[in-house]
Amino acid sequence: MPGFLKEFFNRNGTLMGSIMLGLVLFWVIGLIILPQLSMLDFSFRPNLPPPEIGGPKDVYTLENYKYLIYGPEGGSQDYNAVDLAVFYRTLVAAVLVTLFNLAFCYPIAYYLGQTKGNHIRIFALMLIIPYWINEILRAFALRIIFGETGVFNTLLVGSGIFDTPFDFIRNDVALYAGLGYAYILLMIFPIYNVIESLDHNQIEAARDLGAPWWRIHWRVVIPYAKPGISSGCTMVFMLSAGALAAPQILGGPSSLWFTQLIYQQFNDNSDWPQGAAYAIVLLVTCILLVLAVMRLFKVNMGDIGK
Amino acid sequence: MSAGVGVDLENLWIRFGDFVAVRDANVNIKGGDFFSFLGPSGCGKTTILRAVSGFLDPSEGNVLIGGNNMQGIGPNKRPTALIFQNLALFPLMKVWENITFSMEIQGASARERRKRADELLDMIALPGQGDKLPSELSGGQKQRVAIARALCAEPDVLLLDEPLSALDLKLRQHMRTELREIQQRVGITFIYITHDQGEALTMSDDIAVMRAGVIDQIGDGKTIYNDPSTAFAASFVGENNVFRGKVSKIIGNEALISTNRSGELHARISTANQGKLQVGDDAMMFIRPEALSLAPTGTQGDHYVTAQVNHEEFEGNTYNIFTEGDGGKEIKISIPNLGQSFDDHTGQPITLEYDVSNAVVVPAGELASE
Amino acid sequence: MNPDKIIRYSIWIYLAIFFAYLLGPLIIMSATAFNSPGFPRMTPWECLTFDWFGALFRDERILNGIWNSVLVGIGTVIMSVSMGLAGALMLTQIWPKLRATYYTIIIAPILIPGVVLGISTLVFWDRINRMLGLGADSFLSNGLFLTIIGQSTFIASYCMLVLVARLQRYDMTLTEAALDLGATHAQAFRKVLMPFMFPAIASAGVLAFLASFENYNTTTFTFGEYPTLTIELAQKVRYGITPAISALAFMIVALTVFFALVNEANIKRKALIAEARKDATVGELAGKVEVPGFLSRNPAAIALIVLLIGTATVVGSAMAYSPDQCIAGVQEQKRLETERRIQELRDQRAKDAAEKSQQEGGAETQSTPKPSNNSGFGSVFAPGTLEGSDSDAGDAAPTDSGGNNSGFGNVFDPNALQNDDN
Ligand SMILES: Nc1ncnc2c1ncn2[C@@H]1O[C@H](COP(=O)(O)OP(=O)(O)OP(=O)(O)O)[C@@H](O)[C@H]1O
Ligand SMILES: [Mg+2]
Repeated sequence: MPGFLKEFFNRNGTLMGSIMLGLVLFWVIGLIILPQLSMLDFSFRPNLPPPEIGGPKDVYTLENYKYLIYGPEGGSQDYNAVDLAVFYRTLVAAVLVTLFNLAFCYPIAYYLGQTKGNHIRIFALMLIIPYWINEILRAFALRIIFGETGVFNTLLVGSGIFDTPFDFIRNDVALYAGLGYAYILLMIFPIYNVIESLDHNQIEAARDLGAPWWRIHWRVVIPYAKPGISSGCTMVFMLSAGALAAPQILGGPSSLWFTQLIYQQFNDNSDWPQGAAYAIVLLVTCILLVLAVMRLFKVNMGDIGK
Repeated sequence: MSAGVGVDLENLWIRFGDFVAVRDANVNIKGGDFFSFLGPSGCGKTTILRAVSGFLDPSEGNVLIGGNNMQGIGPNKRPTALIFQNLALFPLMKVWENITFSMEIQGASARERRKRADELLDMIALPGQGDKLPSELSGGQKQRVAIARALCAEPDVLLLDEPLSALDLKLRQHMRTELREIQQRVGITFIYITHDQGEALTMSDDIAVMRAGVIDQIGDGKTIYNDPSTAFAASFVGENNVFRGKVSKIIGNEALISTNRSGELHARISTANQGKLQVGDDAMMFIRPEALSLAPTGTQGDHYVTAQVNHEEFEGNTYNIFTEGDGGKEIKISIPNLGQSFDDHTGQPITLEYDVSNAVVVPAGELASE
Repeated sequence: MNPDKIIRYSIWIYLAIFFAYLLGPLIIMSATAFNSPGFPRMTPWECLTFDWFGALFRDERILNGIWNSVLVGIGTVIMSVSMGLAGALMLTQIWPKLRATYYTIIIAPILIPGVVLGISTLVFWDRINRMLGLGADSFLSNGLFLTIIGQSTFIASYCMLVLVARLQRYDMTLTEAALDLGATHAQAFRKVLMPFMFPAIASAGVLAFLASFENYNTTTFTFGEYPTLTIELAQKVRYGITPAISALAFMIVALTVFFALVNEANIKRKALIAEARKDATVGELAGKVEVPGFLSRNPAAIALIVLLIGTATVVGSAMAYSPDQCIAGVQEQKRLETERRIQELRDQRAKDAAEKSQQEGGAETQSTPKPSNNSGFGSVFAPGTLEGSDSDAGDAAPTDSGGNNSGFGNVFDPNALQNDDN
């Protein structure tokens, strides 16, 4: 028995140690690693009816990935323009949502982190409460607001800015608002956590030296909050790129989100390997993007989730 | 209780990776003794205690308790109870629950436990405080609760890891006597860890002096103090003046040392080094401040030292004279204050006299840093 | 105005916008639960109604969804809290060189899109199922099992984060002390570590339940025969929305606020007790804690009581109140509005006809007086006019409402007629 294991069992006892180790192994290997690998493997296989799985036709193929790029064989176009466009749009929109959230949440995270007082607890409560409420219902709430007879249209038409209701849904305004809305908290908390630990004297000192407020933020607060900012941005980006509920409920009928394509492959076309391939593409692209940005801004993986 | 249960360490090695925390320790602790490990911070005292209580497996060698090899026996099966350096009282349990935790483990009823807790609370002079939480106690009270908790388990060996280090001086001195009393009352073996030589000397039957993982010397307090076997032991336990030099002549159990500054001096070779020290070896001679006295100026001889006085101080029970010494260290002389008149010698040369039996020679070695 | 003031004002404006964005949708959605139109909307406000709550509780699928959600939630809480705790304990002990890798792996599920987790769970267990040669109805392809497993994958990571934060403040020597006093590892775990971890375990459990309850992305691939509430809601919301969903949302909001306040009041109470304890001697402790009482200096508790009274009032009035009158009134107005349009149309037609007939030589002038009468219907919306228009509406309705008013069947129920007669 290797030294580490021996010490582990010494320290935790055989029974507790085994339970602990069993749970961790089940989680890490059975729930995290193997399913991902199995999905990866699956994405390289043809879509076969169950009896033929494992049969002679069950060979590795790049078909599913080719499909994303070139479309169905013998199709009219050279490239799978529709799906690629959706993919591209999803990533760009997710980036935009992330940036919007950062700009929108940084001030409040800073405010909450650096202000003392009883009202901060109340604010925090008001922040958290919406996140105890179902994701679907939050999207539903926005749909009510942005609907043809919703509050916005009533206001806009009532005040004479528009003479006909504006279709927020078809124009994706509702979708972006919904995605932004969904992940506000995940942006605020990491930044807040870091800023809270920033010694207010540093800011005072900078102010004493005559630095204008924007420079204080640029040179003192933001560099300090970098781990929180990157953590928040990573989470918001990954989650909005992987969002499904908001696009389904708030997205216009003509504009799809990449996850919706995956969903269709699974549920409407019953083409699991194809869906798995799309999921892999989404996952890998997102991870690469995040890693690239993290390298660019020199932040560590260990900062995520703090 | 009769002789009690002894503890033996046989060729004990403990390594953390490449780092050796304990090097070849051999100790026999007699049953019913109050035994102390004395050494500076980081020398491996806690490590030894953890090996005895079973939290650490020795890398080599054995721990024997009552003659039984403890190899493979977990901490919860050993007849030891440990009082942790930070006490480790359970913060969410009341004092009485803390004290009788070992009974709870054995399934004793709450009534029995309360009863036993009250007895022990009386013993540690905290009657009626059983319903407090540990956080509501003072440092010394926590200390006593920790002792009661350990005693409640009725161990054969009680291990104490610097239990008094967090207390203030007054309380520390009070607890010393109290601990010693408790030990004598319950009659079990105490293994006590400390870096405070005063604690070790006042309480212990036997002391092991440790330095960087190595046990330098084992003996009772008088032996350690009067007859140190290494330079480290001599300089770590109590105050001592050091004279460096080479052995120039050996006469039986005594030797002449040609010192760097003070000429040839005569001293006794410490018991452990008799027959081992050779002419020409680097050696160190130690004389306690209280073993030096003033002699008529200019007296010559191999137990006289001349030196220039740097400064003097009056400490109440003693007059202290500091003269320039060897290697940047001052020589300190303490003269008991018996009401005699005392002249100011500052800046003057003086001659010091000592009894050869009070000067100890050991091989040159590492000194304890202040 | 000096710049300081500008900054202060802009902070407040920003905060107002921020919280309007955050809370506005929920408030509006909640309000639509009490408005009578069949499509959830706040404007125009028609009638206060509690009927949508009734509609909600008659909806079998919603009720079944709630039941499934609870089942999944319980399973997920158990799975993810225990895995999260084991993961957290492991993190504190793991060989330092492995720690960073290990942390990355167990934190990754938070970042993996839920869709991907759902798919990988489905694909993986399907394969295991096939490898074991089990059929499509085996335990491993059971929707409940898959959903719990899929959700626990990432919810355990959240739990792990919560638990690690507390575990870092745990003094490992406490466990050693317990062992030293003769406890087995299991006893030390149960009697020392668990009580210490309990607050964090409780929060992790609540967090896990909420996360499970609201999860959609993963569940949508794994639910099988067990559609959770979220799945049912999504189906409904995607294919036609009704205020019954608002009613559900309102109840969830109210419950959330309720529990948040309970929690807050509790925290505050504990703080007050701790404070009292600090300056109290043992003797006066018992008395002193109770004297300040539950309410003093505890705004959350006060808010809680206000909320409770509010709820009681609303529920009470909901029992007594019947929106039928109002609904009938509004529907009457609508019908009249339609009527007016029709009349205008007729008017127009009549005019055209008149012009025609004039041109043709003046027959059929009889129908002209009626339109001129009906031109007064502009004031129909004033309540008083209802009675006046009674007779007119009475005979117009049966003939003309036909296709136009089909949505408002209950205009003709006895109540409505009574109302009209009064
Ligand atoms: N788990 C461990 N891993 C690696 N090194 C350790 C470990 N435990 C102790 N050490 C090292 O072993 C040496 C001895 O530590 P130990 O705790 O025994 O010191 P100590 O004599 O009790 O000191 P103190 O008086 O400060 O408590 C130290 O240098 C310490 O860094
Ligand atoms: Mg120690």
